[in-house]
Amino acid sequence: MPISNDKELKAALAALTDTERRQVGTLLVQQVFDLSGDARIKGALELARRADAGNAELAVAAAGVNTARVESFTQCGRDTDWTAQAAHFVARAAQECVRPVVDLGTAWEAAMQARMARICQTLAAGEGTNNTEAEAQYRALEAFLQAKGRAS
Amino acid sequence: MSASLEKGVRVLKEMIDAPIASYLNSCVHCGICAEACLFYTETGDPKYTPIHKLEPMRRLYEQEYTLLGRLARMVGLTKPVTDAELAEWQELVYNSCTLCGRCSVVCPVGNDIVYMVRKMREGMSAAGHAPDGLKGAVTRTVKIGSPMGVKLPAVKAQMKHVEADYGIQIPLDQEGAEYLVMLSSMEIINFPEYLGAIAKIMRHAGKTWTLCSEAFEATNAGMQIGNSDLARVIVKRIVDGAEKLKVKTVISPECGHAYTALRWEGANLIGRPFTFKVQHIVEVLEELRLAGLLKTEGMETDRLTFHDPCQLARRGGVIQPQRNLMAMIAKDFHEMPDAGFMNWCCGGGGGASAIEEGEELRLEAFKRKKSQLDAVKPHRLVTACANCRIVLEEGLEHYQMNLPVVGLTETIAEHIPDPVGND
Amino acid sequence: MDQLQFLTWVRGTGLNLTLAIFVLGVIWRLIEIYGLGRKQDLSAPRDVAGASGWHTIYRRSIPPPGMLKLSPVSYIGGYVFHVGLAVVVFLFAPHIALVASLLGPTWPGLPSQVVDFVSVVTMAAMVAVLADRITKPAKRFLSTFGDWFTWTLTFLPLLSGWLAVHHLLLPYTLMLALHILSVELLLIFLPFTKLFHAFTTFGSRWFNGAVNGHKGVPV
Repeated sequence: MPISNDKELKAALAALTDTERRQVGTLLVQQVFDLSGDARIKGALELARRADAGNAELAVAAAGVNTARVESFTQCGRDTDWTAQAAHFVARAAQECVRPVVDLGTAWEAAMQARMARICQTLAAGEGTNNTEAEAQYRALEAFLQAKGRAS
Repeated sequence: MSASLEKGVRVLKEMIDAPIASYLNSCVHCGICAEACLFYTETGDPKYTPIHKLEPMRRLYEQEYTLLGRLARMVGLTKPVTDAELAEWQELVYNSCTLCGRCSVVCPVGNDIVYMVRKMREGMSAAGHAPDGLKGAVTRTVKIGSPMGVKLPAVKAQMKHVEADYGIQIPLDQEGAEYLVMLSSMEIINFPEYLGAIAKIMRHAGKTWTLCSEAFEATNAGMQIGNSDLARVIVKRIVDGAEKLKVKTVISPECGHAYTALRWEGANLIGRPFTFKVQHIVEVLEELRLAGLLKTEGMETDRLTFHDPCQLARRGGVIQPQRNLMAMIAKDFHEMPDAGFMNWCCGGGGGASAIEEGEELRLEAFKRKKSQLDAVKPHRLVTACANCRIVLEEGLEHYQMNLPVVGLTETIAEHIPDPVGND
Repeated sequence: MDQLQFLTWVRGTGLNLTLAIFVLGVIWRLIEIYGLGRKQDLSAPRDVAGASGWHTIYRRSIPPPGMLKLSPVSYIGGYVFHVGLAVVVFLFAPHIALVASLLGPTWPGLPSQVVDFVSVVTMAAMVAVLADRITKPAKRFLSTFGDWFTWTLTFLPLLSGWLAVHHLLLPYTLMLALHILSVELLLIFLPFTKLFHAFTTFGSRWFNGAVNGHKGVPV
């Protein structure tokens, strides 16, 4: 079933299991990972992709991602480097994926933060406000569902 | 005297009024102001004593405004204010002062020290002795309109993003709306959830509101560096926008100094009273609560505490509203020691967080905030200033304290139910 | 000049000169300071009961929350010697008699043993405050010649007065003359040193309270 808007995206996410939501979140963050490249985030995403990720391991990964997030804030009054700010939102998106408890909102939050990362990149490139990340996310979720045999 | 020093000295002289003269003559060197200042208490270095920040101004006052001082100057018995001295004072007037105002509320003889530091900054910046970070923020404000270089496309991008995330239209340039919502660069860049929260709350309360394409920036770099001309330009932009759109109230965002600049200094900067109200978002939320328009559902169950931003509470007069709002949604709320009007500064206000060379000092001063938090051991920290949030997070990270920090407005919004049939 | 001539001089010419300098000095300094004026505040005020300049004049006499333990000698020592000075100056019979002879009004004093005790406590408090100034880093850092000088100017009248009453150290006439001289020096320098806070504290507290009261913050 094709996903063409956010309402359908949310509905599709709601139909997933918690583990699958974590995996989808990870997938969506992976799409914008290039905007960061941070090793801690890479490691966290790899962990979150596994169905057997344990709470202790997630906590360690979460601490690393949090540090990456705090390090990349643009401080008040400083010149905004939108490229660096994109990396900040990748960290925030990744943070959603390594939460110990996943719920309905987790994958959605990851998706939104990933979109903010893309927005920052387009602002850095001076490309205006057209955000095509949403489309890319719909395609990614469709592919995920297809692979799981649920593309009814 | 170089051109800059001459200008600085002239500006400094112009700053001196009866209150300052009274304060400078009242100081008895008791050092109590130092005991109230986190930069002194956490470092033990007496050079951070607040009243000491004003020494060049004090000498200038004596030499220019007192009979004995003028006589002494005539016979060459006085020490003039020099460029080198002002350069030395830069660290004291900027890096180690967030304009938090604690010194002003403890001085036994009643000296309003923060009032004097604010004026001292006018002289310092006119003399060219302000930190590069702040100078940059000022340049960006003049050239681009925002201290952090945020332009309208970024605002529009965030608007679009928030509309998708929350499913609510964000109004822009709507004439006749009741509220004009201001944003700080910090929110536009770091916290898009603030705008979303506003949209959700306004829809719930049935209030009309709008952003303004010509005046979206509330942060006032002019106020922080001490350049009233620039501070005036920024305020005027907001006033023009508010009057053009004929709004009743301008909402100052979760930012400390933006509120001080607009609410308390604004009218004096443009030379006339405002024709509209100015309220901090926390005040607006409290008004909505009192009018029964904020019907929240559910409570946060983890252990929460609140950090009072200096410019909102002690310097702004908004102290009880945030507590009433917390009571609506927090089951397990605990006050920090010294909470409320005596709260200790996060260490990053007044432009301090833009000063790169002051970072080490800020982190040391953070030990005071850490000790407040250690006393209450919360699971999460709530506040109402975007800069405080980041400064707190950086401090917590530095001291390896696992403590999430969240904004009050977004937390309230999380407890606003979605309208029935709207999902 | 012998002791008696000295005493006569300080009681007569010296006193007249002192009072002239003191009164004219105070008036001049008040004009010099408050004549600078201030700009009107055009921002909309926030009306909160209990937040105003007048309230701050008395409220600032109370240590704000948490401050007493951070600077106990300043607060406690400061209060003891200020109150003690007031008691000694205004409630000691010979002083009351002096004021009556100059200005007219009179009022009952305290028994001289009480005043004696109070002056000893006052001097002890002043020594404590001096020691604090020497040992506390912030105070020591801020201290200038003016601080040591004014401390001495304030201490000498207490000490010399106490010595005179007890007929100690020097012959009474001389001791009394020195006491009066020390008071005269205190009064002459008062308007032109930090001692002028005796007058400006009220104005400073008022301005501070007014600015904060305008925002609805009782300080």
